[in-house]
Amino acid sequence: MSEEVLLQVNNIDVFYGNLQVLWDISLVVNSGEIVAIAGANGAGKTTLLKTISGVLHPAQGSIEFAGKGITKMQASDIVGQGISQIPEGRQLFPEMTVAQNLFIGSYNRGARAKRDQNLTRVYELFPVLEERKKQLAKTLSGGEQQMVAIGRGLMANPRLMIIDEMSLGLSPLIVSELFQVLNEIRNRGITILLVEQNVWQTLKKADRAYVIETGRIVLSGKANDLMDEEDVRNAYFGE
Amino acid sequence: MELLSDLASPIIFGILLGGLYVVIALGLSLVFGVMKVINVAHGTLVILASYLAFFALSQWAVDPILWLLPGIPLFFVLGLLIEKYLLNRAIKMSADAALIIAFGIALIIQNAVQIIWTPQSRSLITDYSFESFQIGNVYIPLVYILDFAVALIVMLAIHQFLNRTYLGQSITAASQDKEAAELMGINSTRVYQVAFGIAMALGAIAGVFFGLTFPFNPTSGNALLIIAFGVIILGGLGSMVGTFIGGMIFGLSQTLGGHFFGPTGQLLVPFLMVLVVLTIRPQGLFGR
Repeated sequence: MSEEVLLQVNNIDVFYGNLQVLWDISLVVNSGEIVAIAGANGAGKTTLLKTISGVLHPAQGSIEFAGKGITKMQASDIVGQGISQIPEGRQLFPEMTVAQNLFIGSYNRGARAKRDQNLTRVYELFPVLEERKKQLAKTLSGGEQQMVAIGRGLMANPRLMIIDEMSLGLSPLIVSELFQVLNEIRNRGITILLVEQNVWQTLKKADRAYVIETGRIVLSGKANDLMDEEDVRNAYFGE
Repeated sequence: MELLSDLASPIIFGILLGGLYVVIALGLSLVFGVMKVINVAHGTLVILASYLAFFALSQWAVDPILWLLPGIPLFFVLGLLIEKYLLNRAIKMSADAALIIAFGIALIIQNAVQIIWTPQSRSLITDYSFESFQIGNVYIPLVYILDFAVALIVMLAIHQFLNRTYLGQSITAASQDKEAAELMGINSTRVYQVAFGIAMALGAIAGVFFGLTFPFNPTSGNALLIIAFGVIILGGLGSMVGTFIGGMIFGLSQTLGGHFFGPTGQLLVPFLMVLVVLTIRPQGLFGR
């Protein structure tokens, strides 16, 4: 696994109007890693993701991806750089079929040429999606919808896939299946940034993690080390 | 048996007329589906196309259907520009602001058309205007058949475009979830412009076939807007299939209303249908 820096967030402050939500956040994701951002509801995780994917922009600080500044880029341009975000709550296109949802995932120029190749890969990872390709997305179960969301993210041909609250509302069995797929995706060379409320489970799956609390990063390090850390155990696992 | 043969004529005319209404309503439906804005200028923009085709016909004897060759791209570009420079900023403020801008556009065009071509009623009269076919004992003017054929062609083309191309799918996606569409790399500002351009191009087609079928004057657009609005309420706002069915129902209830209740029933019945549908199924027959 190479230790090349893929994503670098430098000291960003982010506001919603006058309200500051993130303070001086810095983080690094290396190529080939699974990195987790964990923290309670309202800690600012989703805001951080929206800033990385260009939906929001930082007032201070900078963001670099693969050595290129993307701080001021629009969301619609950032996908083409190789960052694909799977939003909280899946946000599928409900009245479009599974196949159409996957197709539109490959909208960015770089991904169109590799569409068929990526589609084969998605159907390999999630065979059930091929069976259901003609169904409207809204008719699928929660787990299947999350598969479409991940598949749609893969169709963008990303180098970095950001997944927001993947396990929200899903049964533990499906969540552990999805984590297995994420491992496979990582083994095929795609870096993964996970954002989860469920700190314990996330730490078990990630290589490294950042713990975020009321808009600030309070802990970071190797996921295994964090699991042993007394503060984390006290705060999140009630031991 | 006699009742049936009596009804043949209003039923055939209703369906064919419904086709024309579908073409008129499609642009309004598309803009609402994507931008969530009721483009109250739609009817007037359709009539603007009728006048431009009339101008080409009277000045240079250009067949109105041939006029569509430059007319469709012209209206597409006009739509891009109207969206980019007039509607886009208003939409970012509120849907009400966009509504007022559209209303302003309608007033300006109506008055400009009135100054240029006078308030007098005009028609697009060509060699084939008086051709007709006989089916049983019903004579059907050729232009009515053209109206329906064009409705089918346009529906099919729009369906293929929306479902089979990246641009079309990006419009569909942005209309269902704008933020998720942005995450796919879809620039929603551009999608709005293209959707409005397509709606205007459809308006150009509607204007030509309306002008071939009925006389028009500078304020005809208001009546068209109300009809188009009725059609998409019947079918369900933003649904293409709904717009088609809505057009058929509107056309049929207009001709059958006229058949049973005389000329006063012609518009009374379709709008009663609209009220009934609104009461029983407020989202329209095919609405979500």
